[in-house]
Amino acid sequence: MDKLREKAAALLADGTVTMVLGYEEGTNKPRPLFCHTAEQASKLVYSSQCINNLAVYLTKKEIMGAGKVAIIATIPTLRSILQLSVENQLNEDNLVVITVTDKDEVKQFANFAEIEAYIADFQLKLDGKEQEIITKLEGMSREERFKFWMEEMSHCFKCYACRAACPLCYCTKCIVEENRPQWINPWAAPLANMEWQINRAMHMAGRCTGCGACGDACPVGIPIHLLTRKMMEDLAPEFGFTPGQPSKNGNALSTWKADDKENFIR
Amino acid sequence: MSKIGVFICHCGENISATVDCEKVAQDIRKVEGVEYAIDYKYMCSDPGQTLIKDAIKEHHLDGVVVGSCSPRMHEPTFRKACAEAGLNPFLCEMANLREHCSWVHEKGEATTEKAFDLVKMLVEKVKRNKPLDSIKVPITKKALVIGGGIAGIQASLDIANTGHQVILIEKDPSIGGHMSQLSETFPTLDCSQCILTPRMVEVAQHPNITLYTYAELESLEGFIGNFTAKIRLKAKSVDHKKCTGCGACFQKCPQKRIPSEFNAGLGNRTAIYVPFPQAVPNKPVIDREHCNYYKRGKCKICEATCPTGAIEWDKEDEILTEQVGAIVVTTGFNVKGADFFPEYGYGQYKDVITGLQFERLASASGPTLGEIRRPSDGTIPKKIVFIACAGSRDEAKGIPYCSKICCMYTAKHAMLYQHKVHDGESTVFYMDIRAGGKNYEEFVRRAIEEDHVNYVRGRVARVYEKNGKLIVKGVDTLLSGEQVEIEADMVVLATAGVSNCGAEQLAQKMHISYDPYHFFAEAHPKLKPVETNTAGIFLAGACQAPKDIPETVGMASGAAVKVAGLFSNNELVREPLIAVVNRSAPPVFSTCVGCFMCQTACPYNAIEREEIKGRDGKVIKTVAKVNPGLCQGCGTCVAFCRSKSIDIQGYSNEQMFAEVMSLLNH
Amino acid sequence: MNNNNSEFEPKIVAFVCNWCTYAGADLTGTSRLKYATNVKIVRFPCTGRIDFMLLLKAFAQGADGVIVSGCHPNDCHYTSGNFHARRRWITFRGLLDFMGIDVSRIQYSWVSAAEGAKWADIVNTTVANIRELGPYTEYQKVADYLDKEDYNG
Repeated sequence: MDKLREKAAALLADGTVTMVLGYEEGTNKPRPLFCHTAEQASKLVYSSQCINNLAVYLTKKEIMGAGKVAIIATIPTLRSILQLSVENQLNEDNLVVITVTDKDEVKQFANFAEIEAYIADFQLKLDGKEQEIITKLEGMSREERFKFWMEEMSHCFKCYACRAACPLCYCTKCIVEENRPQWINPWAAPLANMEWQINRAMHMAGRCTGCGACGDACPVGIPIHLLTRKMMEDLAPEFGFTPGQPSKNGNALSTWKADDKENFIR
Repeated sequence: MSKIGVFICHCGENISATVDCEKVAQDIRKVEGVEYAIDYKYMCSDPGQTLIKDAIKEHHLDGVVVGSCSPRMHEPTFRKACAEAGLNPFLCEMANLREHCSWVHEKGEATTEKAFDLVKMLVEKVKRNKPLDSIKVPITKKALVIGGGIAGIQASLDIANTGHQVILIEKDPSIGGHMSQLSETFPTLDCSQCILTPRMVEVAQHPNITLYTYAELESLEGFIGNFTAKIRLKAKSVDHKKCTGCGACFQKCPQKRIPSEFNAGLGNRTAIYVPFPQAVPNKPVIDREHCNYYKRGKCKICEATCPTGAIEWDKEDEILTEQVGAIVVTTGFNVKGADFFPEYGYGQYKDVITGLQFERLASASGPTLGEIRRPSDGTIPKKIVFIACAGSRDEAKGIPYCSKICCMYTAKHAMLYQHKVHDGESTVFYMDIRAGGKNYEEFVRRAIEEDHVNYVRGRVARVYEKNGKLIVKGVDTLLSGEQVEIEADMVVLATAGVSNCGAEQLAQKMHISYDPYHFFAEAHPKLKPVETNTAGIFLAGACQAPKDIPETVGMASGAAVKVAGLFSNNELVREPLIAVVNRSAPPVFSTCVGCFMCQTACPYNAIEREEIKGRDGKVIKTVAKVNPGLCQGCGTCVAFCRSKSIDIQGYSNEQMFAEVMSLLNH
Repeated sequence: MNNNNSEFEPKIVAFVCNWCTYAGADLTGTSRLKYATNVKIVRFPCTGRIDFMLLLKAFAQGADGVIVSGCHPNDCHYTSGNFHARRRWITFRGLLDFMGIDVSRIQYSWVSAAEGAKWADIVNTTVANIRELGPYTEYQKVADYLDKEDYNG
């Protein structure tokens, strides 16, 4: 922890960066912290409780206009950073990426290629409870599944916290704000909510890095992160990419293989 | 508020027999936005078209829907009629009431209802149509032909003869390609050089053709009608303006043992050389990698010998920039060497040679002056085995395709051998005989019946050397089903035709597609064999797939006519149904976030990156931009733009949405 | 082909590409082959253009079934539009199935410009299939939120 605070303070003091994005202690769990001075850097913490995905701030105007910044990244955040860079949203020269390893060492990455090599060792895994829900759903009949999701969707009130928390939702004008034509009905009703989630999942196809920020952010606890995760797990073997790592072959939906397999086209 | 005119056609009885056209016209009047609606017997006829034109003028219509046959039939007809009446032609749409309705359903209420739904759908679309103008792209009327083999030569001559300028570049010191290496060609057995060299000379002398040999494409930018090509003119070290081609230099050159590329490695050449006696241009170049002066600073004998002082030691590569409007790629192919085959000795056995090497032996100007002699000891072989399909049609070797010409040239080689060595015995091991061209089958029969070439159906498992002979172990699957062993003096492998080296890099430089074997991809396998997906770049010859000379020449002329067609106008006019990325006022500039998924997906490379800069010159954001000269209007980019920042004219998001919604609304 | 009694008549929308399936359907017409009136065709330049949300919107508006059809792989007029579409459908179908939407109501097919008979067959089998499945009230009920009070699944 101390080493981390020192590192952050040093980066700010010598002017390498104008800001350090990290975590501080919150009421129940750590929350994001934006350090501009060495003093603020002394509040930095890092633990397995740091679950917010800080990469979501990297595409915000305020951060992009702040010159060179440093970000203290957890493994999920590192994955998001790589995906954002593949999508041309990040400038490698303007970003200092730091993480804390298993052995509590502070590691600063020289470039994105190093980040890629580092996270290759960390496998994406669903935790037990989530795997249970998915297994349960897979065992249900279609009608039961529809009932399940309609029930879940009836709680959603279109707060769009899921969109706000996801680092890959950086469109200046989101599709829900498009009213000519109105692709997704904006009111909070089960089908309109489902249309939003289906759209979100499709837009995340091949891009989701499995950080779970969307599910965490949902104030009524709908397991929407399972939608994007399940898609990722299903598509990865079919389309040849590793879940959580940016595909060398290009995005899943904007590329194709001559022998993509399906069994439903006549 | 829209003022749409709807015109329902009876099409004689074709539509009215099953659809109540009058009712459709009556009901459609009640739809909001429809100003005028009538039905008529023959809408596409002159009186019918006049009805439309008059209605446009009288009722100030701002959109027209014609409910009649398929738009694939008469869309241009009705659009032209609208244009003549002063209405932008892209404000006219057609509802398919014949092929998709009246002809496929029985008479009844449901059919009339469906006709009404289809018309209403198009009315909703037209409400959202925008007036569009055809796109005009200027054209530079100069062609670049890359590759000086028979395909390039033919294409250059054909284009030049239409009166347009051609630049022909060839990476070797002379044009001619593989055809110049052949001795005789099937199925006529004419001398290859005799029919080729007059063409080569014509190219060199043609006023409309500028020939650069020892030159390669360095880079290519731009798009159809407007390419900027940078060509690297490699330093020849000989000033061709001073050189007279007397040949004194290469007679004196001390480096005499460099394997000759023209002779497929069977003969030698000097460091300063002309590749073959009939080369065009018939002036030497210096191979700097093998020249004594460039390697060690010694010698300079050629300079001393040269009567005109043409040697230029310090000449450097030059980059030439040319503006061209169309490009024809004719870079040809290559064949696999004998070293590709472990079972045939990895190229270690001097007397196991490829078909191309056999051509050089048979050629009168080859290393053995036309006598078939073993490369190892120079004796005349009495028994030759020809192995067809060496490498081709073999998944295990990574070449599953057929190389097309080998059956024919193997028959030719066997015949040539029998003609030159009367007491020789030749055997061909084959899988199938593919002799599909004109007079091809008869040619092969001649080899078998007149020249008594022994054809054995079966493959050869191994060739190995023993006591100076090559033991060929094969099998005869047709007649005996037993193994066959032949003690041969020479083995000729009809090795697979493969893409030329550097094909992948060239394709990437030009942004044309290529297949897994690095053959360049045609735009459509049946209907567009000489075009690529990159507008303005055409293909001919073996760079697209192995093929014989008649096909190559046919394709080259085909590509030439495409180029001539392109150049026959001053401007390229294209339908404006293309994609557009939205632009708006600062500070947003565009809702595009620059993820460029669209760029990855576009099959025509029509999406470019545009840097939007502020007044201080700093880049604010990089967004996508569609090149109107290249976009073909498929709309794939539109369907997956997450932020819906890109839309396509004629099939816009609003239009398609409105169509679907109206179809299901009563 | 059409039943004029009170039996359920499915409403089906077909999203087709201009170069293959639309032309194939034209051929069906030229050949005078008959099929059910329940299917109405919307023309797209390419299957790659078909937005997946349009399918959902079709169901929400009252469609009981949807047909999506284009050129065979390798035959796309724009080279790769149908390859993109295929990937999109594989992804979309998996997602819809996971959410419990009845994917058997969506018929995907490759119909070339020469396959007039195949188009007629696709239409007829799809109509028969949907007729058996019945109206898609499950979806339409939740879609009609603004008209009805019943919105809790």
